[in-house]
Formats: sequence, C-alpha cells, structure tokens
Amino acid sequence: MIQLDNVSKSFGNGKTVVSNVSFTVNEGETMVLLGTSGSGKTTTLRMINRLTDPSSGSIYVNGTSVTTQQPEILRRSIGYVLQNNGLFPHYTVAENIAIVPELANWDKKRITDRTAALMEKLHLPADEYLHAYPHQLSGGQQQRVGLARALAADPPVLLMDEPFGALDPVTRASVRKEFRNLDELHSKTVIIVTHDVQEAFELGTYICLMDKGIVQQVGTPAELLFKPANDFVHSFFEEQRLLLELKALKLTAIRQWLNNGTLENATLNGNNSCWEALEQTTEHDTVTVQFEDKISTINTNALMDAVKQYKHGLF
Amino acid sequence: MGFFDFVQQQSGKLLEQTLQHIGLTFISLLLAVLIGLPLGILITRKQKLAGTILGIAGILQTIPSIALLGFMIPLLGIGAQPAIVALFLYALLPIIRNTYTGIQQVDPTVTDAAIGMGMSKRQLLYKVQLPLAMPVLLAGIRTATVINVGVATLAAYIAAGGLGEFIFGGIALNNTNMILAGAIPAALLAIIFDWLLSLLQKLNLRKAKKGLYILPVLFVGLSAFYLLPAAFGTKLLAGFTPEFMGRKDGNLGLKKTYGLDIRTVVISDMVMYKAIYEKKLDVISGSSTDGRVKAYDLVVLKDDKHIFPPYYAAPIIRQETLDKYPELTSVLNKLSGIINDSIMTELNYRVDYLKQDPAVVAKDFLVANHLWQPEKHGTKGSIRIGAKIFGDGYILANMYKMLVNGYTDIEAVTKTGLGGTKIAFEALTNGQIDLYPEYTGTGLLVLLQASQPTIDSLISDNQKVYDYVAEEFSRKFNIKWLAPIGFNNTYALMMRRQQAATLNITSISDLKNYLVHH
Repeated sequence: MIQLDNVSKSFGNGKTVVSNVSFTVNEGETMVLLGTSGSGKTTTLRMINRLTDPSSGSIYVNGTSVTTQQPEILRRSIGYVLQNNGLFPHYTVAENIAIVPELANWDKKRITDRTAALMEKLHLPADEYLHAYPHQLSGGQQQRVGLARALAADPPVLLMDEPFGALDPVTRASVRKEFRNLDELHSKTVIIVTHDVQEAFELGTYICLMDKGIVQQVGTPAELLFKPANDFVHSFFEEQRLLLELKALKLTAIRQWLNNGTLENATLNGNNSCWEALEQTTEHDTVTVQFEDKISTINTNALMDAVKQYKHGLF
Repeated sequence: MGFFDFVQQQSGKLLEQTLQHIGLTFISLLLAVLIGLPLGILITRKQKLAGTILGIAGILQTIPSIALLGFMIPLLGIGAQPAIVALFLYALLPIIRNTYTGIQQVDPTVTDAAIGMGMSKRQLLYKVQLPLAMPVLLAGIRTATVINVGVATLAAYIAAGGLGEFIFGGIALNNTNMILAGAIPAALLAIIFDWLLSLLQKLNLRKAKKGLYILPVLFVGLSAFYLLPAAFGTKLLAGFTPEFMGRKDGNLGLKKTYGLDIRTVVISDMVMYKAIYEKKLDVISGSSTDGRVKAYDLVVLKDDKHIFPPYYAAPIIRQETLDKYPELTSVLNKLSGIINDSIMTELNYRVDYLKQDPAVVAKDFLVANHLWQPEKHGTKGSIRIGAKIFGDGYILANMYKMLVNGYTDIEAVTKTGLGGTKIAFEALTNGQIDLYPEYTGTGLLVLLQASQPTIDSLISDNQKVYDYVAEEFSRKFNIKWLAPIGFNNTYALMMRRQQAATLNITSISDLKNYLVHH
C-alpha cells in the first residue's frame, strides 16, 4: 500500500512542481499518474522511492513513512522501471536481473531459479538470452528485462516511469499486454507514470490526472470519463472520447438495456468492455454476453443504443 | 662504427637506461593514478570543485617540462625525486580529466536505475560508474603514459637517468648513433605501452573490469625497474654531463687511465654546479675556467696523468686578413700571456654569475692592465671578430675589438653568438668573419679530426699540440694561429674546496686512492 498525504515539492528557484498531492493505492491496485509533460507526475513518483525528497507532506509505503528508512533499504523493497530501461550495459541479462537479489545477499541457487522463472514468464528464452548483453536485445526485450529486474526480489511495490514510452506502437501493445497478464502483479501495489491516455485506461485501476503539479481528479477510468471533476478533465479526453468510453464502460453497466437472449455459447462476460463487444459485432455481426443473471445476444446497433441510454441516465 | 655495433657495445648501459626509463615512467604514473583517480571521482560528486581542480592540473600541464624540472631542483634537489614529481604532475591532468569525463558520460538513466534499485554510493561507483568509465579512463592513462615516456627523457638533465642520457650525450657529442640508441628505444617504449593499454581498452567491458585489478600490479612491477640498477656504488657521487660521459678525454679516459670507479649520474651542465654546491654531488666534470667554479667555491683536481687534452685559447685569423693588415699580429698578441686560468675564471664569474656586460668586463680588464686606449676611428678598413655562443668567447672578442680600435686605424666589429665550433669555423673559412678565439684541443680533435696515433703522441704536451694545429691549419685552411692567450679551458674534475681539503684530495689520483680505500 502506498499513501501520499499533502505532498509538495518546490525546487531551489522557488518553482513548485508538485503541490498538495494526496492519494492512496492499495495492494493489488494500479494507480496511473496521467498528465502532460511538466505536470509533476514523474517527480511525484520519484518522491516515493526518495530519488527526490518532498518539500512537505508525508509518504507511507506499507504503513511506514519513507523518511524513517534508510534510502538504500527502502529502494530495495520497491521495484523501479524506467522509460529507457536503464539496464547496465556491462552486465548480462542474467546479471541485470540479479542486481537487487545480489544486493539483498540471496544465495546463488535462489537467484538462478528466480531469474529463470522470471525470464520464462516474460517470454525471454533463457538459453538464448541469459548471457546476452542488453545491446544484443530488441527494444521490447530490453524493456522486458527491465521489468524482470524490477520484479526480481519480489518487492511489494512497483514504480514504473513511462515504462513503455520508448517502444514502437506495435511492440508497446504486446509488452503491455504481457505486463497486464503477469500473475506477479496481483498482490502488488503499482504506480505507473504515463502521458498515454489509452495506456492509462488499459492499465489503471485508478487514474490520477495531474496538471501543473496539481491533482485534477483521482478515480476509476469510467469516473474520469463520465463524471469529470472539472473542465480540464472533461477536455483532456475529448479527442478520443468515444473510444475511451467504450473501453472504460463494462458490459455490466449497460446490461439493463440489453435483451434477454436464449442459452447460447457466450464469448464475453459482464466484466468485458463495450469496446471488446464492439470488436466482435463488427466482425461477426452479433456477440453473446453471459451476465450473472441473464444472457444477451446483441448486434452493433443494440450495443450502441444501450451505451447511449447509459449516458442519458448520467446527465 | 655502425648503429648496431654501438648498441651492442653499449648494451649494458642501454638496458640500464631503459629499465630506469620504464621505472621513472611508471612510478610517476602509479602516483598519478593513485591521486588523480580519487580526485576525478571527487569532482564528479562535488561539481563546484571541478573547475578549480581541472584548472590547476591544466596549468601544471602547460609549464614547459625543462622549466618544471628546474623548479624542482631547489625543492627536491637532483635525482629521481624531482623527476618523478615532475612526471607525476604531467600525468595528473589526463587522468583526472578522463576519470571525470568517463564518469560524467555514463548514461544518467543507468545511474538513476542503480540508485533506484538501492545501490549505495560505493556500490554505484564500483559496480556501475568505474566499469562504464573504464574505456575513457584507460584512454587517459594511455595519454599520460605516452607523455611520461617522452618527458622522462629530460630526467637525464637532473641526474635521474633514463634514455635521455644517450639522447643528450649524443647531441652534445654530435654522435648520431648515440642519439638513436636513446631515441629509438624511447619511441618504441611509447608505442609499445600505448599499444598494450589500447588492447586493455578494447577488451570487452567484462574483462576491462578485471583490468582494473591487473593495472596497479603491472604498474608497481614496472616501477620497481627503477630500483634495479641503483644501489651498489661508492661513497662519493659524481655528476657528469652527457657529453663528458661519452668522451675518450672524459669519463672513458678516467676509467681507462686512472682506473677511477665512482658512482656516476648524468646531469645537465646547467644544474651541475648548483648541485655540487648543495652537496647533492661530490665530484663534477666542469670546464676549468667556468665562472661558477669561483662562484660555488670549487677546486679543480689536478690531472696528473694528463688525460684531458690542453685547450689553450688563441685567436685564429685568416691569412688573407693578416696579409692585408699585418699590424694586427702585434695588437692581437697583446693579450698573450696575461690571462691565466684563475683570471679567466674571475672574468667569467663576473659575466656568468654577476651578470655584468662582457664589454664592461673586457674594458675594465684592459684598463687595469694599462692596455686600453681610446678609439681611433680609423678608416683604413674593417674586420669582423667572431665568438662562439658560450664561455670565454664573448669577453675575448670584446677585448680584441677594443685593442684593434685603439691601436690601429682599422675598425673592428664583433659578430658573437655563433652557435658552436662548426658554425664559427665555417664562418671563418667562408670569410664571414676574420678571426675568433679557438682552443688548441678543439682544433686538434674536432676541426682537424686527427688520427688516434697522432693524438696519443701529442696530447700530453701543450706546446706540441699548439705547433701541430698551427702548422696543419696554415697548410689546410690558410688560417693562422696567433700566440696562446695563456689559460687552459679544459675539462676538469672538481670538488667542493672544503670537502677536497678535508679528504686531502688534490689530484685525480688522490681521488682514485680515496675511493679504493673507502
């Protein structure tokens, strides 16, 4: 669990880059810090592992104030992923992954086993890449190694600074997908910094939208879309609104406007997004959704109608 | 004698000098790494100091090497210490700067990741910064090594040994083989060390990490070379110029004729007198009429077995000029017999040490000896009087000018500062000058290049040498030797007056006997 309490940061020149940020992220949840460049999101992240010290306010990781711990010890319990991966160019893949376990004095066997397990989970064939150097890997592979390195010592907390930012769109989508499906993450508290709205919607349990160092709104993706706290939040998503809405909206939310169908082989359930349903209806004309209490078979029109009804109900 | 014969003949000396050279280079390099590396690391952490420290190291680098060695003498005397300190100071800049640059250019994302993962400053330095800065750091050490191999040749000027002994000896003796015997190994050392370090630099990063540990061991090992040739020696220490070391009428003669076996260092003429005065040396090879003999209260040891050829000074003049102005002979001979060794030393002392104008010193002397007459401003013609760049020539040329102007209707002008024997003599034979003071020994050995049997038959007798050169010059070059002035500016061994008296040494044989018994 991570808790920020009225955290502010000003630099020597009097410029305030983060002011009064407060939020809480629980275990198993992912908080996305979203905003344009200069919004203070990276500074906020770096204060959590004390790469930057806050000017005021308190930060707690798993209930303990970060300032009461020795920075090196604190950081070893926090996984850290950087945009340009920050892999050590003079270390092999295996050595890179083993950095934090080495610092924590794990025994050799345990390190080897852990490295192998992580490489498998991240689809990096050990026999091919174990002793390779970072420059021999593709961008996507490097980022996977960076992720493995952050996860190596199984830290309860993971901080990710634009983790997929340096990758091309295709690679980014696939690495992101792998990341989402990692079972390692289920019990972790994760904070991700990004300026990519889609990424935020895809990965965030909650999104913290920041502008000029000030938090504009903290909430679920749907809350930010459908109940924006102010004009800034509203306009921030304007360009991709429909796409985001469909992605943020779960089928459960519109189930009351969907028909009662007969028993058929359902391909989606209530936790899937409207976007996923739309992908299917445009492909196969109809899609069958299994809810807890009913089954619906819908086409594109029925889906979009239901979405419209949902939005009407909000305003 | 060919180059390879020379190398073969001098192989022992060459090996000794090469080892000394390597030793000097690496002792100073080791010190520079020990000091420069931490300083370089310090300024990456305290950026405010970076400008100051790099600035100071940069200024040190710009001091001309011979000047830096000169500054060291009052502080550290002569020998290895000042040479090592000077070399150390030269090696400092490339090492500090490259350590600093090497660490600065480590990808900040990598350092950020290292700190973010919980590395301490120390772990960051040893696991990340130093290994990644290693290629740049090694490039700095390479630069410093090459600089040091080069500058270490100058160590021979201050009795620290090294290949400079051959190089400067060869230059002084105009012996190309000797110059090459020093210069080629020095160049090879620079190339070989540069190449070896480049191999280390090109090794992949992993092995370079190990290179970090090999390097100090290697440096210490190579440094130890310096200590090998030293150690055993006599109680007294001699400092000889590179020229004296290689001459038959120098150190070789001392060994052969006297059997003199004394611990010897090679040293520049410029610092030699000061060094013996400051008791860093006990015996030096000087020139008997040098002003510094008086300035530093030294005493010339008697050459009782006559190995140093006579270098009696006399004006030599073109026969053509004499035929045209026969009155010159009697005028120029006015100096003959009135300047002995101690008078010449005194005159040189006033010029070299008291920095008085040679013209003033010349006039004072003529006035004191009732030889001076005011200028006649004659119009009969003019002659040019030359002088070599060093030693007694300036004063003598001025005296001759005043005598000619005072006693004849000829107008004399001086043309001093003729580089060396060869240049002065060429000028004379070409008619660019009409006369200049020369030494009988130089005439015999350098200008006539007499055969060894001839030299051996003449060398111990001043008059024989004079007669021989006078006859040969007249015959070969149509140049006339006038009467000798009276002083003998020859090589001489000298000691501090005080010490020579205490040890009861007055001649070279005394010195030899003293060394045998102590």
